[in-house]
Amino acid sequence: MSEIPEYKFDRLFDAPRDLVWRAWTDPELLHRWYGPGAETIIHEFDLKPGGSWLNEMKWGDNSMFQKVVFQEVTEPEKLVWHHHSSTDSEWNDVPNPKMADWPRLLLTTVVFEDMGDKTKVRLSQLPMEASDAELACFAMVMSNMDQGWGSGYAIIDELLVELLEERRAKQG
Amino acid sequence: MELVGYTNEQSTLDAVFAALADPTRRAILSRLADGQASVNEIAAPFEMSQPAVSRHLKVLERAGLIERGVDEQRRPARLKAEKMVAAVDWLTKFQEFWGASFDQLDAVLITMKQAEAKDTDDE
Repeated sequence: MSEIPEYKFDRLFDAPRDLVWRAWTDPELLHRWYGPGAETIIHEFDLKPGGSWLNEMKWGDNSMFQKVVFQEVTEPEKLVWHHHSSTDSEWNDVPNPKMADWPRLLLTTVVFEDMGDKTKVRLSQLPMEASDAELACFAMVMSNMDQGWGSGYAIIDELLVELLEERRAKQG
Repeated sequence: MELVGYTNEQSTLDAVFAALADPTRRAILSRLADGQASVNEIAAPFEMSQPAVSRHLKVLERAGLIERGVDEQRRPARLKAEKMVAAVDWLTKFQEFWGASFDQLDAVLITMKQAEAKDTDDE
């Protein structure tokens, strides 16, 4: 695969940049918003290149663990980290339990643009050291996101093929 | 209800796409990924009547994504096609992760701004 698929998400926040930076870099604030509908527990947060953010998100009885290793910390404009997207509770990389070919490592860049009393946050995630299967999986999800749920469904297509094969195998 | 003239696979595909196109049905699948549940239990987090939930369950059942228990009182719904539903659950979570987190960040920033305004007033 020649081109590495990238996830991009831009968002304007109605607050000055120093506040937005604090909300991203103070674990007391970060755990309150990171992880939709989850109880987010930050086990370690060491904001410096090489430092780790060990993150647990709990949805009911289900926990999901992720490890972030900071690469660049440029207050108040830029954060770069290696995002270990699925780990066990000891923070070792494990395949994503729900999607085995999801990239294990994502290079994440967050840029904070000063717009006076507002701040633009530009987020990007790029698979790192990815296998062909991981790149294909990520590309498939990205193309699906571009098209939204109304059309596309490339991923459902592929999974449905698996489902039908399973069914055939069961029926003999 | 079988559509005549379609192969089984085509009708399955259409039914699955139709079933997954609705965010409430994806949320119901997400709930069932955590374990089987009755109509009451499924309806609880949604502002939705039981008949409305039952209609969604029928669509999911026709698509082969869930099955209903035989217990006439509860008829708990549980997932079929677990691998696919787990992947759809993950896909939905990823798609919504940053947007939904950022909505929560908006709320945190509002309280931070209020706290700062209060500090300034106090000085």
